[in-house]
Amino acid sequence: MTLYLLKRLAVLVASTAVAGVVVFAFMALLPGDPAEIALGVNATPEAVAALREQFGTDRPPVVQFLDWFGGLAQGDFGTSYVTSAPIGPQISDRLGVTAVLVLGGMAVAVAIAVPLGTFAAVHHRNPLGAAISAVSQIGIAIPAFLAGILLVFVFAVKAQALPSGGYVPIADSPGEWLRSLLLPWLSLGLVQGAVLTRYVRSAVLDVMREDYLRTARAKGRGSTGALWRHGLRNASIPVVTVLGLQLATLLIGAVVVERVFVIPGLGDLLLNGVAGRDLLLVQGVVMVLVAAVLLINFVVDVAYHLLDPRLR
Amino acid sequence: MLKVEGLTVRSGDVELVHDVSFDIAPGERVGLIGESGSGKSLTALSLMGLLPEGVTATGRAALDGPDGGGDDLVGVPESRLKRLRGRDVSMVFQEPMTALNPLMRIGAQVAEIMTLHGTPRPQARRRALDLLDRVRLPEPAQIARAYPHQLSGGQRQRVMLAIALANEPRLLICDEPTTALDVTVQKQMLELIAEVAPALLFITHDLAVVASVCERVLVMYGGRVVESGPIREVFTRPRHRYTEGLLAASKLTPRGTRLPTIKGSVPAAGRFPGGCVFRNRCPHATPTCEDVPALTGDGHAHACWHPAD
Repeated sequence: MTLYLLKRLAVLVASTAVAGVVVFAFMALLPGDPAEIALGVNATPEAVAALREQFGTDRPPVVQFLDWFGGLAQGDFGTSYVTSAPIGPQISDRLGVTAVLVLGGMAVAVAIAVPLGTFAAVHHRNPLGAAISAVSQIGIAIPAFLAGILLVFVFAVKAQALPSGGYVPIADSPGEWLRSLLLPWLSLGLVQGAVLTRYVRSAVLDVMREDYLRTARAKGRGSTGALWRHGLRNASIPVVTVLGLQLATLLIGAVVVERVFVIPGLGDLLLNGVAGRDLLLVQGVVMVLVAAVLLINFVVDVAYHLLDPRLR
Repeated sequence: MLKVEGLTVRSGDVELVHDVSFDIAPGERVGLIGESGSGKSLTALSLMGLLPEGVTATGRAALDGPDGGGDDLVGVPESRLKRLRGRDVSMVFQEPMTALNPLMRIGAQVAEIMTLHGTPRPQARRRALDLLDRVRLPEPAQIARAYPHQLSGGQRQRVMLAIALANEPRLLICDEPTTALDVTVQKQMLELIAEVAPALLFITHDLAVVASVCERVLVMYGGRVVESGPIREVFTRPRHRYTEGLLAASKLTPRGTRLPTIKGSVPAAGRFPGGCVFRNRCPHATPTCEDVPALTGDGHAHACWHPAD
């Protein structure tokens, strides 16, 4: 286990480094010189050259990359070419908000999918089980932003029960913080929950056919008891795979949902960066998102090993 | 000790097992043989209350207690059956590779059947080691900590046997327990079963296996018991033409001669002929066989209009 952990950790570090190269290369390939953009069209070549030297963009790309990536390792994301503000603190402020949004959305999805999927599997022969399958099918077809808009329409515009957007930090008011996140969580979680329900259902159905469940019943367990004690952990193995993939999807979904609900998260920061042509900021945010996805994959792989002794 | 009367198993309108009756005395080892599809496994599963969804059993099956009290096994609610399963009746299944939970240590899986029926956990853990030792697994402590994938098929089947024996059941049911094992492992397993089983219902399609383990045999075909009696008599002097065919097909024949077979194959459930279920494959069938033959005879009984002598 320890050996595996070390190996997998090495893979994580290596793939993050490769991702860094790719992200940097893409941004470097984009047309447009930050110094020219900052100074506008009427700048003198001398002024542009001076600014380039100040930004460090006159150095060879390899040196620039090493400088940038080395900085990342110490939490230094550089200074914005546009606003001259350090990028690191902006990202870390926003990262927390997005993490809460994504993890909350995931929690909603799991809270929906596990009981519903299990129920649909156990009752797959009767109408209610089939109905759950059908409804989850519809859920899959709805994109998160549309779910968000619909939720705003119902709960904020019609019922006026929840705010239609905005974000209140938890330090200001925990109650308002919760209210401001409820709809975003739901719009991310409902759709992913629908997708996940189907996976949970089929995983539980597969497990229900396993011989070891019959063994458990032969020992004297009822069918529900057998499923709880022996089935669900086995069923969780394929579900964890999907969960990992979905977390990555949610991270991307969050970019859009943050827009819909005016939440100051990473997605919002990314879109602002793009709009303001703040290349280094965009580069930093993209890098953080990519690293987050890699980290999620790492956690999923480790979770596999914890769940399934056959992999150890 | 076990008394089965008129056991009938149905799936919807189709009768899969028809009016099966037999007894097993305390300590007796009874074999149940027949081709695939003859209803052997369903008979066993109905005694465990583990029939698949949509399949139901009727009739009577009662397990007599040592104190004279009887426990019904068929037609009683799941909540009562649950208490008997694994405590009074246990079963070892055919497929040892998939019968154990892959995510749980062996020791915990053996202990589980005891804690389920009221044994305190530390005591169950300790007894699990004794049981693993009893089924002759080397280094029980090490096996108890292992996961199923770390054991061989034979070892896993021994674990299944240890589980089945844990609560000292009155009846052990084995459904083709050695079919999936290597021949060398098979023999040890059979000796072990014969040695440790209290009363035994042993299901197999392998005549040699049943001859080595059991004292009495029931031959099933088309969901009915067509012949029953002491092994020696049934195997040396079969009366039912089906048994005769089975025995002929299992004999080693000299090189170059044709392997005797029973013509045709077992019909699908519900497609057996009326009257004698075997008549469409029987070389001795006559119009008389359109009537159902009764299972007659004391000790060695058969249900055939034209028995061999």
